Amino acid sequence: MFTLLAIAAESQQNAVSELFGKFGVNWPYFIASCLNFLLVIWVLKRYAFGPIQQMLEQRRERIAEGEEKLKLIEKQLAESEATTAAAIAKASEEALRMINEAKQGAAAFSEQKAQEAIAQAQQILAKAETAAKADRDRLNLELKREIGRLVAATTAQVAGKILTPDDQRRLNEEALAKVEA
Amino acid sequence: MRLLFPTTAVFLLTSFAAIAGGEGEAAGLPLDAGAIWPGVPITNSMLMVWLSVALITLFCRAATKQMALVPAGFQNFAEWVVESLYDFLSNILGAYMVKKTFWFFATIFLFILVTNLVGLLPGVGTIGRYNEHGHISGFLRGGNADLNMTMAMALIFAVLWFYWALAENGVAGFLSHTFAPKGDFHGLMRLFMVPIFLAIGVLELISIAVRPVALTFRLFGNIYGGEQTLEKLMGLVPANLAFLPALPFYFMELLVGFVQALVFMLLTAVFLRLICEHAGEAHH
Repeated sequence: MFTLLAIAAESQQNAVSELFGKFGVNWPYFIASCLNFLLVIWVLKRYAFGPIQQMLEQRRERIAEGEEKLKLIEKQLAESEATTAAAIAKASEEALRMINEAKQGAAAFSEQKAQEAIAQAQQILAKAETAAKADRDRLNLELKREIGRLVAATTAQVAGKILTPDDQRRLNEEALAKVEA
Repeated sequence: MRLLFPTTAVFLLTSFAAIAGGEGEAAGLPLDAGAIWPGVPITNSMLMVWLSVALITLFCRAATKQMALVPAGFQNFAEWVVESLYDFLSNILGAYMVKKTFWFFATIFLFILVTNLVGLLPGVGTIGRYNEHGHISGFLRGGNADLNMTMAMALIFAVLWFYWALAENGVAGFLSHTFAPKGDFHGLMRLFMVPIFLAIGVLELISIAVRPVALTFRLFGNIYGGEQTLEKLMGLVPANLAFLPALPFYFMELLVGFVQALVFMLLTAVFLRLICEHAGEAHH
């Protein structure tokens, strides 16, 4: 059994050796080919794939970074627009409120001034009336005295006698009653 | 006008290749990559791989020397390539795994693509010396028309695949993913399913072991086959007309160069996705 296997193995080995010999396969050339191929692998990995893949990766990262930044900028822009719109709305609201307040303030001030003017005018009028009344009272008093004095003087000259204080007072009252009537 | 430039380019390309091919070498491309000169331990396909590495390195340096946030010129193109690949792989592997493994799959795609396209330059496989069998042994040979190169890529992927599978699933998770019954089975049914899924697991292991072999020979076969086709077609007619039969196939080879790079990358990515289906879920 083992002999048969050994013969079979030997004959197979011979066939393989013959086949390889026919195709020119031998160890030195085969090892040289392996080294050549390994050299190609090293060259390409070292000088081509390494730097190129690094560059591609760098570019990919930059693009991704750019995309991220773009998204951020868009977000910030949207936020800024929203903030601006809110600020404008708030400012508008504030301005409206201020205008209304100003209007109200102006109306109140105007009313206050008008009231003050009216009060002042009334005060002036009252003062004028008081002054006029005082003048009139004073003139009335002076007139009464003058009339009394004239009535007493006239009566004394007409009657030729000296009038007593009671006569003078009575005559004055009668004359004043007639003037006031 | 848009078609004029590529058409002219391909025409010139094939013309130069045909002229460089000399007297219509119908013997074809040998299966093995030969030493550029007897006794020198450097093969013609190795030279092409170095040329591809140099081109890729120069382009990378030009693209990443003065990187700017606003890209222009080479940087713009390089970024477009890297970003497109990243998005494409992200759909297959998911956001978590692509971050960890992008460097490998992108390298696979770019390296295979550049090597395939550089392999179509005039003179590749047609400028060389005649060997002892009377076949022309080109000073340059398509990098992926050498089984050593395609096998190296497939085996490096297999090692990385195994590492990522264990790193993401753990040993128990890996074994469970391979052998444990899938589906909602209970009781006796579950017991029945155990041997079935064990057998499926063994098949899965065989499938995993075969993947690097398939990757190796698919890429090698397509590129070697393409170069062989071009050489054979150029050998069918006199040398001054050699470009003519190969011309349509140059368009196809441009496409094959791109498709094979895509297929290799897609398959490796899908293989990884299958074993790391739930990777990164904990991180979310």
